[in-house]
Amino acid sequence: MSRPVLRVWLPLLLVLAALYQAGSGLHIVGKAHVAQFLLEHAWQESAAAQQPVRPWPSADTWPVARLSFPERNRSLIVLDGASLRNLAFGPVVVKGEEGIEAVGAVVIAGHRDTHFAVLADLKIGDRIRLDRDHQSEVFRVAEMFVVDQSSTQMLSDDSDSLWLVTCYPFVAVSPGTRWRYVVRAFPERRLTSVGA
Amino acid sequence: MHLQRLFTRAMCLALCLLWATQAPVAQAETGAEPSILHSVNEVERGSLLLRNGQDRAFLSAPLLDTEVAINVTAMIARVTVRQTFRHVGLDPVNGVYVFPLPEGSAVDRLRMHIGERVIEGQIKPRAGARKIFEAARSAGRKATLVEQQRPNLFTTSVANIGPQESVTVEIEYQQTLAYEAGWFSLRFPLTVGVRYIPGTKKVTGFDGGGWSYNTNAVPDASSITPPVGAAGEGHNNPVTIDINLNPGMPLAGIESLYHPVITSEPGPQRYRVSLDDGPTAADRDFVLRFKPAAGHAPRAAFFRQELNGETYGLMMLIPPQADWSRNARPPRELVLVVDTSGSMHGTSITQARATLRFALARLSPSDTFNIIQFNSGTESFAPTALPASPAHLARAAAYIDALHADGGTEMAGALRTALDARSENERIRQVIFVTDGSVGNEAELFKIIDRRLGASRLFTVGIGSAPNSYFMSEAAHIGRGTFTYIGDVAEVQEKIAALVQKLEFPVLADIRVRGASADFASSPNPLPDLYVHEPLLVNLRLGDEQALEIDGLLAGKPWSTRVPITNGGQAAGLDVAWARARIAGLERSLARGANREEVTSAIIALGLKHHLITRHTSLVAVDVTPAPLRAAQARDSHVPNKMPAGWQMSAPAARLPQTATPLALHGLCSLFLGLGAWWARRRALRS
Repeated sequence: MSRPVLRVWLPLLLVLAALYQAGSGLHIVGKAHVAQFLLEHAWQESAAAQQPVRPWPSADTWPVARLSFPERNRSLIVLDGASLRNLAFGPVVVKGEEGIEAVGAVVIAGHRDTHFAVLADLKIGDRIRLDRDHQSEVFRVAEMFVVDQSSTQMLSDDSDSLWLVTCYPFVAVSPGTRWRYVVRAFPERRLTSVGA
Repeated sequence: MHLQRLFTRAMCLALCLLWATQAPVAQAETGAEPSILHSVNEVERGSLLLRNGQDRAFLSAPLLDTEVAINVTAMIARVTVRQTFRHVGLDPVNGVYVFPLPEGSAVDRLRMHIGERVIEGQIKPRAGARKIFEAARSAGRKATLVEQQRPNLFTTSVANIGPQESVTVEIEYQQTLAYEAGWFSLRFPLTVGVRYIPGTKKVTGFDGGGWSYNTNAVPDASSITPPVGAAGEGHNNPVTIDINLNPGMPLAGIESLYHPVITSEPGPQRYRVSLDDGPTAADRDFVLRFKPAAGHAPRAAFFRQELNGETYGLMMLIPPQADWSRNARPPRELVLVVDTSGSMHGTSITQARATLRFALARLSPSDTFNIIQFNSGTESFAPTALPASPAHLARAAAYIDALHADGGTEMAGALRTALDARSENERIRQVIFVTDGSVGNEAELFKIIDRRLGASRLFTVGIGSAPNSYFMSEAAHIGRGTFTYIGDVAEVQEKIAALVQKLEFPVLADIRVRGASADFASSPNPLPDLYVHEPLLVNLRLGDEQALEIDGLLAGKPWSTRVPITNGGQAAGLDVAWARARIAGLERSLARGANREEVTSAIIALGLKHHLITRHTSLVAVDVTPAPLRAAQARDSHVPNKMPAGWQMSAPAARLPQTATPLALHGLCSLFLGLGAWWARRRALRS
């Protein structure tokens, strides 16, 4: 190899590749955060307007619920439509999208590295507040499991549980994993509130 | 320069890693179906996934072909089932297949075929067999384990099937034919429906690999909920069926109820039946029935077998002849219980509605009735049973028309509601229970029936293309009634007419069969009641007696007879039939509160003696050839069952959504590349 190649081009190429990788990572984090910011805004507007409001003009999803973790000082806007694209913007409702009138459990899935990283910190007895359809429900974390991705029983659960699902382990390089971390919470009491 | 070469290699590796993991992830991010996302291994094989379109979710499962050969001699069927697991993937797998068999089947033989080699299976207590299998699996050897999950539900596990290899598992079982209303019949189930698992309040484990977790009500739920593929999805589990009939009498007719068949007569009183369409999708029960020619119907049959100094017998009890129609039918209370859970959605609920309409049409004005429907909860048509007046029947008809199938299958509450109500004026109380039996908590339900039955009688009607026949027949046995299958709406009229006739005519009740010798034992014990058109089969172990004493209550009056048994025909397999009936009786005694440890050791003893798979004994076969595969490399892969024909329930999702981003990967690559840039620049400046 000639010297200019070694001296200039190889390091430059590597720097560009490093920047691209860093950018991709930042893109994921940024998208997750900016989307939540816009979604929070849309959530407030939806509540005020009493109808779904698109968080950004090209969005094909809208906020359907807000999850709060009082002990962890975190809140997340949950989206309709369990697609991978929506998962980049926020947790999505996998079961129970019919809203508060629906019978049975609510299952919400989120990314382990961004929104649902918070699940790693949850402890049994922690509160989870779920706001939807102008009502609030408070759940208490009851059980936590690591399950195989084929364990889909929570999707046919008829009880009043709230299930939060994310990939496991929380820290891993490869994004493909067959394990899921599952948090199950039972309702504490049902509150009625007005507005968001 | 040595370090630099090393570094260049490291960079290449990093780039390869980057591209290898990046490509399928990018694919995954644009796809809109989280339910079919992939395991680690599948992601690594991204290109393979893309070539296969809709088969993606089940691609890694070995493909399965089933061949069934049935030999019928007199009243005993000997069945060979060959399951061939073909593995088309790139990594070795352990194939796991949860499959149904008839509930009375006595599985007593296992052979594993690997190429030309055949390995015979050994019977062992369940835990011991599992241990042998696991040891072979971690040593990388081929091994097969067949376990019983329910009397009609078994699991074949095949360890270490290599890429492009196939392993054939051959099991044999014996079954006694059913004889009812002049027809002998044989049922071969081909798929397991989506069973409802109650008791979701507490999760106790996820170990069996099914779509359900274990619950407090069904501690083995994850072992009885195999993945289910919708029609047109994945491999069809094609099955071929060939039947040799040697009934020992001329036949007036042979019918296959749900599959087109070709029938031929290669010799006198010998028949051959096979599927007309060749290999067929395994999505509904196969039922063959045949009718003896006029004058050849069995009147009172007795068979015997001497084996190793023991004598076994099989006796068919036929209801005594009497002119039933002269007796005035006492007024009764009819309770119709109908399953309106999600698994009944589709053709099943149509059949159920028709069943209820026909049953109501047979009521007379002096009768009373009620309708109870259940899914996630229980709802009654009326608070108490109503007289069958035209006005009430009209309201009931409207109620039946409005039945809609959705939700869970909480059967326990419905059974309690149906059995706890008490009728006034000592009416005969008959409960007709219409369901597909798609539940996993059979044992709990049998207990409820046994404790609450009282003077009621429970008649089960199995609906749909793949009912849980074990639940149907056992619930009816404990409920002292009968069971009826309806697999097609066209059968409703005939089957319900026959059922109603059974309900109307008096029965032979409290039957006892006694022999004089000390060795004498009969099974089932106690015997169920005898209904018109439905002979009862009694398995016997005999001593030196010449005759059997039979007594009971015929239409409420004492009745007895003496049956000579010296001239019975010789038959094979009666020992196995006797052992199987004894095991069923022992299992049943658990619902009546028998000691669990005693029952378990009695079942293990019978299983080991007769080489039978039971809940507590399994067959295991291990290849002794040294293993070419790296040990413990294969992962479990479940062969999906087909969604039963006519079911409109959506299959449980095969996977939970994939919820990891390549964030950590990007960060790591970025760090690595940055370091590389710094290092390369430094090297260049120094040299």
